[in-house]
Amino acid sequence: MSTTRRTFLVAGGGLVFSTIAGAAAAGSGARGRKRAYVIVVDGCRPDEITAELTPQLHALRDGGLHFPRASSMPVMETIPNHVMMMSGVRPDRSGVPANTVYDRSLGATRTLEKASDIRSGTVIERLNRHGFTTGTVLSKTYLYGVFGARATHRWEPGPIVPVSGHAPDQFTMDAVLAMVDELDPNLVFVNLGDIDRFGHADFSGTSVRAQRRLALADTDNQVQRFVDMLRSTGRWKHSVVVVLADHSMDWSTPDAIITLQGPMDADPMLAGRVQIACNGGADLLYWTGPAADRAAAIERIRAVANGVEGVLAAHARTEPWLRLGPEAGDVVAFCKQGWRFSDPDPSANPIPGNHGHPATRQIPFFLAGGHPDVPRRKASAAHARTVDVAPTIAKFFGVGRPRGGWDGRARL
Amino acid sequence: MTTPQPPIRRPLPRRTLLATGAVGAVGAGLAAAPAATATSATSAARSRGFRDFFQHGVASGDPLPQAVVLWTRVTPTAASSPGSGRGPKVDVQWEVATDRRFRHVVRRGVFATGPSRDHTVKLDVTGLEPARWYFYRFRLDGVTSRVGRTRTAPAHDALPDHLRFGVVSCANYQAGWFSAYRGLAARDDLHAVVHLGDYVYEYGPGQYGYGQDDVDIRTHEPAHEMLSLADYRQRHAQYKRDRDLQDLHAKYAWIVTWDDHEVANDQWKSGAENHTPGHGAGGEGSYRKRRARAHRAYDEWMPARLDGTAALGDGDRLFRRLRFGQLAELSMLDLRTYRDRQADTVPTPVPNPDPATGDPDRTITGTQQLHWLKDSLDRHRPQWKIVGNPVMIAPVDFGALPDDAIDAVHEVTGSAPRDGAPYNVDQWDGYTDDRRQVFNHIRNHQVKDALFITGDIHSGWAAELPYDASTYTGTGVGDSAGVEFVCSSVTSNNLKDITGTPPRTSSLAVEETIKANNRHVKYLDFDSHGFSVLDITAKRAQMDWYVIGDRADRDTDITWSVSYATRAGTGRVEAVDGPVGA
Repeated sequence: MSTTRRTFLVAGGGLVFSTIAGAAAAGSGARGRKRAYVIVVDGCRPDEITAELTPQLHALRDGGLHFPRASSMPVMETIPNHVMMMSGVRPDRSGVPANTVYDRSLGATRTLEKASDIRSGTVIERLNRHGFTTGTVLSKTYLYGVFGARATHRWEPGPIVPVSGHAPDQFTMDAVLAMVDELDPNLVFVNLGDIDRFGHADFSGTSVRAQRRLALADTDNQVQRFVDMLRSTGRWKHSVVVVLADHSMDWSTPDAIITLQGPMDADPMLAGRVQIACNGGADLLYWTGPAADRAAAIERIRAVANGVEGVLAAHARTEPWLRLGPEAGDVVAFCKQGWRFSDPDPSANPIPGNHGHPATRQIPFFLAGGHPDVPRRKASAAHARTVDVAPTIAKFFGVGRPRGGWDGRARL
Repeated sequence: MTTPQPPIRRPLPRRTLLATGAVGAVGAGLAAAPAATATSATSAARSRGFRDFFQHGVASGDPLPQAVVLWTRVTPTAASSPGSGRGPKVDVQWEVATDRRFRHVVRRGVFATGPSRDHTVKLDVTGLEPARWYFYRFRLDGVTSRVGRTRTAPAHDALPDHLRFGVVSCANYQAGWFSAYRGLAARDDLHAVVHLGDYVYEYGPGQYGYGQDDVDIRTHEPAHEMLSLADYRQRHAQYKRDRDLQDLHAKYAWIVTWDDHEVANDQWKSGAENHTPGHGAGGEGSYRKRRARAHRAYDEWMPARLDGTAALGDGDRLFRRLRFGQLAELSMLDLRTYRDRQADTVPTPVPNPDPATGDPDRTITGTQQLHWLKDSLDRHRPQWKIVGNPVMIAPVDFGALPDDAIDAVHEVTGSAPRDGAPYNVDQWDGYTDDRRQVFNHIRNHQVKDALFITGDIHSGWAAELPYDASTYTGTGVGDSAGVEFVCSSVTSNNLKDITGTPPRTSSLAVEETIKANNRHVKYLDFDSHGFSVLDITAKRAQMDWYVIGDRADRDTDITWSVSYATRAGTGRVEAVDGPVGA
């Protein structure tokens, strides 16, 4: 698919947007007045949204439709849950079960950051096919990669913070505002990565988490800028704003690290025949020995993993509730709260903040905006999930559902 | 065993039935001729003029979306007194309607009862519609009971705007009048009543009554500690004759569990503080047999499903779940039948926590119930995971109390006496490994909105549930496993009753000391009796505490005291300006 690249000058530098060539030629105009914005406050815990620390998010949550029971989906990582938001299907249909998998054809672990990694359609493409325009403003390079050229307009994240691989929220929101002002897509999908990134890297202690609190306050300010823009430009009354996180966050100390590679290699049956894709709070384990031994090996892997301190549970990947697909390997191990995986060796994962395990399942999830479809000052006991975003957006725009249906439910 | 009930429009046999305890259905309404199986004994009684068949009121309980338990007790002859084992087998007609005047009857049938079940009637009416008010009544030999009202639970996936429960515990008949029940019965805005245990007390006259001197405002029947099946039946019957209790049972479905006094004080799986084993002088026989008798009477006299059924004799498992759509699920615990013996206190110059309280081999729930409770606290279950919890789960350090208050606090709470361990070993504090497992489960699975509602301790509390009470500030992220709201007693003695001081005087210092030592405790009232109202929405759960005046005054005033709430997802407690429904 051919694209055009355009640079918009804003205070502090230029913003680079890529646009589908055809859409650019057609003027990239939105269809109708409806607007939908999906704002992902990456890694935010629901109990971190308070009137004192995050007043804008708090006000949005209380003013719209709040789902206090909402949750992320396994594996509670960034890429699979963003893919679930836009695809509306579980990983066994999308092909994206985790951030990191062991690629059997490659013979190595890798991040699922290629556009071709998503096997299913997305609501982005569905909207495009129905004549709506779409935009992605994703702060993390791997998210930019995995969603590829699907949206009508895409921001190339930058500047990128070394190590974290993400653009700070200030720049991300600059891009959001510029994209809405200049290109005004019907749907904009936004990832604000600071809360997650500062949560991962906060070495100030598990009780203080000073950097994370600063990030929460700053991200709240960015959301304030966004809402102010919607209101000042008259877009608010035509908009639905979906605010949610992709996962929650948990913190561990250096004495609460789990390394499964050693125990696997110490087992006579498993030695040298188990590969591990580490996802912080979850390990994906792959049997690489003879296929005929797979069933017995899975039981053995589970038994060994379940015997390691800090492991909450090791499940066969094929357990129906997981719905992870073969990319997730043979066994999925989750850690307990306050622990983290570090594979293949204890130094592989030095960061204290992690997710992927059930202790990081709960997320904020609420619908705001001034469109008449958005309930005011309501809460629902329904179990909203990240996979519900796509059907919600599809229902809002009336663009139907994919073959085989959604795995999520519309929440409007 | 309850037999399935066909819809009433289905052609019915003239008579369906009837072993004692079975439920059948007949086509005739209650206004029709007396049931064909009414015995000659009943007719004889009528001929003698005895018509007071329904002396113990009517009740309903354990509402499900399509079913509810209905209960009454008939006294077919003057000789058929509770516990007597005398009287005829009789057939009692019942019917359920959607209107108070019974113009729209949706279910009806006949229930056979007799002396083997103390003439109690208990049936599981099915085929009802979710979230609907129903009216019910019974008839024997042309005499109709009072009309009861009940409400089914919302459908499995319904999203009700709110749920509202009356919450009560600890109603000692001898200690006063059940004005708390009167207060709840006067309300018209509840969906059900939750009773958290100590519905009846085992003591004889003069053993446990009103205040320091154990004055009996009313006297227990039988006039001795209940031990035999007949004793337990008579005691239940006496309570069920209380006017306020009858009114509240008739007004709402009840969801009940037992604590210790339904059998004997501080009971555990193989004994009780108030049970002397053996058959010698002062001996009260086998505890297990005594408990079986108590449970039998409970099953007969309470509108609850034991082992999941309304039938008698099929087991005494009382822990169970009741779901209210996606908004809430109520998991009622039994913390007496499976628990190990309470730890002994350790008298030392310095209060010395007994290591037995943390012994992983000791349990308050039993293994099966602990697994079940963890399953109740599953993320896939409804939003509010309410646990009907007979004894407090919040850790409470009773240390550093003023010397002159220690003994009285011990008497109210059951905490360790002077020089003993500064916590209540009869509560979850005495079984900390079970609590640790529950809290770790909540933490490992990030379970939100776990709400424990509790009785037992004759005082009102609102507390957060810290993972680490010693470092708890209430400001950390994810540091609370949930919230506990504790209702006061209906009548049973509290701190001011034991110290003999006026309300809200000497207790205030004790309360402030405990709150200072336990930063997760946000509210504590050691002096008041009354009831609570729990209101649940998707946004928050709020408990209102109502207090009564003098228990000795049958018409004493009832006033709102305080309200506390927990917002969804927070695990925090905050004060609220006013009660719901005011």
